[in-house]
Amino acid sequence: MERVRQRDGAAFELLYDDYHRLVYGIALRILGDVPAAEDVTQAVFLKLWSSPQSFAKGNFAAWIARVTRNRALDVVRSRSVRLQSDVPDTMPADDALEDHAFAMLDAEFVRSALARLPEDQRKPIELGFFGALTHEEIARRTGIPLGTIKTRIRTGLRKLRAQLDGVVTA
Amino acid sequence: MNNHDEFLDSIAVYALGSLPKSEAAAARAHLRTCAQCRAEYDALRPAVDALALSAEACIDGRSGPVPSPLLRARVLRTVRQESRTPTIAPSRLRPSWPAMVVAAAAILLAVWTTAANLMLRSDLTQTHDQLAQLQAQNTNLNRRLAAQKIMIAEVMDTNAKRFPVNGGEVVKRNDHVYIAMDGMPMPPKGHVYQAWTEHTGAQKMSPSITFMPDRSGVALVSLPVNASAIAAVAVSVEPEGGSKAPTTKPEFVVKLT
Repeated sequence: MERVRQRDGAAFELLYDDYHRLVYGIALRILGDVPAAEDVTQAVFLKLWSSPQSFAKGNFAAWIARVTRNRALDVVRSRSVRLQSDVPDTMPADDALEDHAFAMLDAEFVRSALARLPEDQRKPIELGFFGALTHEEIARRTGIPLGTIKTRIRTGLRKLRAQLDGVVTA
Repeated sequence: MNNHDEFLDSIAVYALGSLPKSEAAAARAHLRTCAQCRAEYDALRPAVDALALSAEACIDGRSGPVPSPLLRARVLRTVRQESRTPTIAPSRLRPSWPAMVVAAAAILLAVWTTAANLMLRSDLTQTHDQLAQLQAQNTNLNRRLAAQKIMIAEVMDTNAKRFPVNGGEVVKRNDHVYIAMDGMPMPPKGHVYQAWTEHTGAQKMSPSITFMPDRSGVALVSLPVNASAIAAVAVSVEPEGGSKAPTTKPEFVVKLT
């Protein structure tokens, strides 16, 4: 990132090659269509090129993942007929993320950890994170009481965290 | 469940990024004052970050669609343009002489940088070509090594039939025929060894492959014939490129029966 801050195009190219699949994958899961996901991927990387100082410190992959999700949520908002207050809030991307062992994880490991969660916990987590739904919308869509949804999200995240323990240290 | 447990549930939803804006502000405020909820948030956040990773498109498309290479070209085109040509805001004022000198120097520097860049790119292209050639050679060597390993395994097989000849043996295993020589002298300059095969019922030898021993005199070659159709094998010294019929007395002739 230091070289990107110095306007080193070759360094940026390497950065793109390392992270574009993550950025594109998140955008595609949230938006569900290729052109929009490509637009978000392009916007995220060009924003990074024009404002490299926006990444301060911590784990770059975790940071760019949040930036991507937030950008995709912006697109969801612009398409949405929902009230702004119903749309999920963006995650603070500048929140000082610890440099945990995120980099040691790979997509396959996380996918299998996620697959091991019970369906009733995994589904609300995925609907919330990738479906860009609020907890109330998840409750409405699944027909499950709001309190239950919140508890299942928490339990599922705790289980996921437990599976990542040993790999991730916060 | 008490009220604080409900708060902890809301903090999990906040960590997931699924609280509506109207509630997220309250959650943030609460996190600033409640150590227990802050600890819960900090514990769950890596799990949420990891969730994002599960969406990563696999490089070979096995675990999801791969972004188009055109997208890469699109993004990098913009970056390359900006990387090469820094924009300079035009001044409304007439430039003073020192400014013009600086501008001229900057133009010269830009020209020099562009030339250097082009040379570097040319070097880079050359290096890529060399790398591609080396990779092709490596693949070729690996293929040859694998073929050699198979040959050695077949020649060493206890079920193989062996026909001793002067300085080595001809080995027949299943459908394959191998010539395995040890201590074979190098042929005269401009010459090679050539194998000959006599098909069952044929009156004369047919030309087969040419080969050379290595520096220690070892040669292991597989004849491109079906062993069941071959009655005899011979080897002779021939001019480079091989001959249609033997031009020298064979080093050996061996019947495979």
